[in-house]
Amino acid sequence: MNTRNICIRGVGAVSSAGWSAAAMHEAVLAGTPLPATPCARPGEGRSWPCASRLATAAPPEKIARHSRLRRSSAITRYSVAAALEALADAGHDPAAPPPGLGILFVMQNGCVNYTGRFYHEVLQNPAQASPLIFPETVFNAPASHIASFLGVDGAVSTLVGSSNAIMEALDTAAFWISSGIVEECLLIAAEECDWLSAEALTYYHPKLIASEGAGALLLSASGDGPKVSAVIGPLAYLSWQERCELLPELAAQTMAQFQGQATLINDRTGITKLDHAEAAAWSGGTWNTVLSPKYILGESMGASSSLQLVLGTLAARQTQQPVVISMPGTNTAAYACVVTP
Amino acid sequence: MNTCVGSSTLHTTNLILSPLVPSPSRQSIAITGAGIVSPLGLGWQANEQSLAADRIAFRPVDLFDTRELIAKTAGVVDLPAEKLFHRIPAHKQAFVDRGTHMLLLAIREALAQAGRQNMEDIDAMVIGTSAGAMPLGESYFEHAQQESGRVPSQLSRAEHYQPQRQMNNIAAEYDWRGPVIIVSNACASGANAIGWAADMIRSGRAKRVLAGGYDALARLVFAGFDSLHALAPSGIPRPFDAQRDGLALGEGAAVMLLEAEDARQSAALGDVSGYATATDLHHLTQPDPAGKAAIRTMTAACTQAGVSPSQIGYINSHGTGTPFNDVAEAAAIATWAGDAVAGIPVSSTKSAMGHLLGGAGAVEAVICLMALQGQWLPASLNVREVDPVVRFDLVRQFRRAALDYALTNSFGFGGTNATLVLQRRCA
Repeated sequence: MNTRNICIRGVGAVSSAGWSAAAMHEAVLAGTPLPATPCARPGEGRSWPCASRLATAAPPEKIARHSRLRRSSAITRYSVAAALEALADAGHDPAAPPPGLGILFVMQNGCVNYTGRFYHEVLQNPAQASPLIFPETVFNAPASHIASFLGVDGAVSTLVGSSNAIMEALDTAAFWISSGIVEECLLIAAEECDWLSAEALTYYHPKLIASEGAGALLLSASGDGPKVSAVIGPLAYLSWQERCELLPELAAQTMAQFQGQATLINDRTGITKLDHAEAAAWSGGTWNTVLSPKYILGESMGASSSLQLVLGTLAARQTQQPVVISMPGTNTAAYACVVTP
Repeated sequence: MNTCVGSSTLHTTNLILSPLVPSPSRQSIAITGAGIVSPLGLGWQANEQSLAADRIAFRPVDLFDTRELIAKTAGVVDLPAEKLFHRIPAHKQAFVDRGTHMLLLAIREALAQAGRQNMEDIDAMVIGTSAGAMPLGESYFEHAQQESGRVPSQLSRAEHYQPQRQMNNIAAEYDWRGPVIIVSNACASGANAIGWAADMIRSGRAKRVLAGGYDALARLVFAGFDSLHALAPSGIPRPFDAQRDGLALGEGAAVMLLEAEDARQSAALGDVSGYATATDLHHLTQPDPAGKAAIRTMTAACTQAGVSPSQIGYINSHGTGTPFNDVAEAAAIATWAGDAVAGIPVSSTKSAMGHLLGGAGAVEAVICLMALQGQWLPASLNVREVDPVVRFDLVRQFRRAALDYALTNSFGFGGTNATLVLQRRCA
């Protein structure tokens, strides 16, 4: 990967801990899982437990005003708030974004609320399905809205993939920046939750708790801020067993990239069956601190690795030590990276 | 006069360098294999024969219920009856999506054309799709709505609904492990994926990449376009016709094997010589009437390719047949081409097979490659009276032609515009 020393100039986040990166940082450092609430289901209810940790209502100052955002989905609202926070964190005026800005957007499930609503209408009576909702179901609708809001008419793209697909976007962002296609790049990964995605997680494991949110990073070739000093991966796999077998290699390669004390931000859910391979792989390291955002915030799917990266940036700033981020993924490939102050 | 790669001279142009691309890179990105599955047929030969015969492929949709919809027809692919995935257990075969089958067929053809039986030494796959395995998502939704209890097969539906899991099926088929990048920029996805892959090679991040796009017909998407009144009620799209009334949907897949010239292991069929993307901020679903973003992508892609508009021997337009798209694209082509516009042949192959959404850009790029190889131009069919906005040479019948460069436009919901320039290779 061509990401060496790309600079993270600003970060922003919306999560179940609140509408700022600082709120997420504080919650994860506190180490106590946030309260989960039963996930409501339309119709007759459900015969098994299903809970979620949703983002709270937006504080008034986090609600962006723009014609394209009036009908936009929750995933777009989270992403806009995270992006504006990242721009401000980098010293930009969010009302006047820098020229030469690109946007890479990553998601796993996408605009599930509007998609479910629209398909429900199709099943009820397709002749009356709303033409206003359908365009909002498209994977790249959030990126389009953000581009419109920020006035970015250049390179804007959406990727779909596993929880760690943001690493593919990071590679591309580095290329866009190094080749002059953009000067700076907003890297955003986001997810919104609905009853269908919350239930889907319980099929993977009954104790998995769905969450939602967005993480945004403003990247550039230089400037103040922590740097992505090493990316390890993709180590591709075709099965869960292969994934478990290659995680020790991922950890070994990563730990060779730095010396001394470091913080580890892992993918731990708090469910031993899902966590044991990753825990074993990283057990050989000497960690100052181990942070497990997913355990605290919930499983935010496509957003989760972006929240790890935001957290890693804040941790590197605070500790002035390297931060190792473990992103084993679930479907296709494992990644890790090192963020240095 | 034809000028093949290696013998052509770089032409001085008066095009403005766009900020979308760096200073023009002349690095050749070779296309060493291509595969295509469309409503016109399975494979290069079947598609070439259909295009040469000016055949259209629309028929009633029987994949889902269309009784309450305005449009009832589409370009439908006839998949072969035999089992295509041999490494997927029998109980999982039902969760391999229809679109994934099309993509596998396209990959097989591309690899075979490059003289390969496997994906060894391929650094990455970059695939565009707008809907992924939507029918599995629909099925998940319907089961969840109907049952208040747990349904065991829902886990497989939830898992295989995800496009990256579908790509895993293909990777498993070839026992291949590598990065899979899934680009989802609506109807520009396939073109973006090919451009993305070319960029990976051009920047030295990869030597060999399989790139393309796919989408299968899905009820939600069909009903969505129907709700927008974007589908032609007659079922026949008429791009660039004065009385056009909408698009027809289709399904399909296409893939190219792209290789760095200095690492090329197979004979080259052509080159991806230019690519650019930009964002139209006008509206979520409607293009800027002047096509400003399209002008920028055509300009930047040609700058990267080192060609002027007059050297473009064929444009495969986005050409959906909707009133808004065709006006904007025709205006953009006229502005971009300037005095050369009248001499540039343009057609929309969506008139024959429908709009393949995430697959469209890739399928149309492969059609451009076929045209460059065969020295012919596919037609814009079903046109009764040409729209006055058309100032280019609208190709209304299949014809023979000498061409070195072809350009293809793709514009998506959300405003993503993409242009690819392909170059001919001499035999």
